[in-house]
Amino acid sequence: MPKVKVPRKSTIVDMTAMCDVSFLLLTFFILTAKFKPQSIVAVDVPTARSTKAVDNAIVITVNTEGKAFISLKEKSTRYAMLEKLDEQFGANFPGIQGLTPEQKEYFSLCDTWGSPIEDTKRVTSMNGLEFKEYQEKQMPGIPYDSTNNQLGAWVMAARYATGGDIKIGIKGDKNSSVEYVKQIIKRLSEKDIHRFVLITSLASGGEAAAETTEGAPATNN
Amino acid sequence: MAQMETGGGGNGKHDGGVRSKKMSTRVDLTPMVDLAFLLISFFMLTTTLNKPKAMELNMPKKTEIEDDKQDVAECQVLHILLDTLDQVWYYEGLKVAGLQKTSFAGDGGIRKEILRKLKSVPNDCPLTSKGNKRDAIVLIKMMKGARYKNMIDILDEMDITGSKIYAIQDPDAIEVEAVENGGVVKEFAKEVVSQ
Repeated sequence: MPKVKVPRKSTIVDMTAMCDVSFLLLTFFILTAKFKPQSIVAVDVPTARSTKAVDNAIVITVNTEGKAFISLKEKSTRYAMLEKLDEQFGANFPGIQGLTPEQKEYFSLCDTWGSPIEDTKRVTSMNGLEFKEYQEKQMPGIPYDSTNNQLGAWVMAARYATGGDIKIGIKGDKNSSVEYVKQIIKRLSEKDIHRFVLITSLASGGEAAAETTEGAPATNN
Repeated sequence: MAQMETGGGGNGKHDGGVRSKKMSTRVDLTPMVDLAFLLISFFMLTTTLNKPKAMELNMPKKTEIEDDKQDVAECQVLHILLDTLDQVWYYEGLKVAGLQKTSFAGDGGIRKEILRKLKSVPNDCPLTSKGNKRDAIVLIKMMKGARYKNMIDILDEMDITGSKIYAIQDPDAIEVEAVENGGVVKEFAKEVVSQ
């Protein structure tokens, strides 16, 4: 039988196309990735095994001192929230009435808001430097007492502004007292809001269990 | 593709004579592809891990409608109390005196108790008035000054153990006292409970 000669083929594959694709993907990921916005309110979020992602929510941040802050992702919804607050609750909160368009614009540029409604005019007329200092040092938080439930009004306004199907997230500090979060839930229940999402970060295996035992003495002092 | 026609650009001393050598301009792109994919995987992993997660919490509506109220048997209920020192206390039914201390430890902690309760209730408890089996009800009560982390942890446990019915409530005076006394319930309190 005659031998069949198998022609030898080069094993070198042209990598150019592969390179193109991979760099295209790389640029895509780099360009679409958003940096974690620098949070003005430092909150150490507790870990949990829940893997549900929050994409769009009204986020109420509660820090260790019990100050509440409200955050919305998009500038347009923040603007709408302010308008709705004026429209719906303006009669109860005279501080919100009569803001100039510039002040409203200024408000919509702040992604986290933590001032009582009375202060809105003063805060929205601060210059950049003053505002930065105000943010870093003395943001008083939004009041949520039973008699002065401004937080409830803000959340309602935000719901009106977004069409109502938005989730309400509560972002608490893991070392803060549970009382603050309970208070906020109570205040929002009064406004007929009963469904919440508690914002957590993903736990990595046994770390969570170790942390509970080690963290215990810290609350003692 | 990655080749370019070279040559023809020699400064012709001997025009048409010695041809400049044609060098292949083909470059091996494999390391470049390696690098690109390494970076892609790095970016993908780091971006997805940073996303905040959320757990859902549904609070009950205040309802006064009789039909909505379920009949609850004592044997269905597991009370879980969280104190300020990251400890977990639990008791079943109305027996505050049977208060016991445990922890959030993965095995042998509160999880074991919840799982046990979940298993035993449908078998041991009497049927409802409609003839259905009962399910365990977990009542979570947090002392003043308990850490928020503990609330998340216990809600996480509810998720892990698959408890369907649970609620967050304020602790009663007896429970607060019992936890403060390290699980000891005074005699008169016991009587109040048993009545």
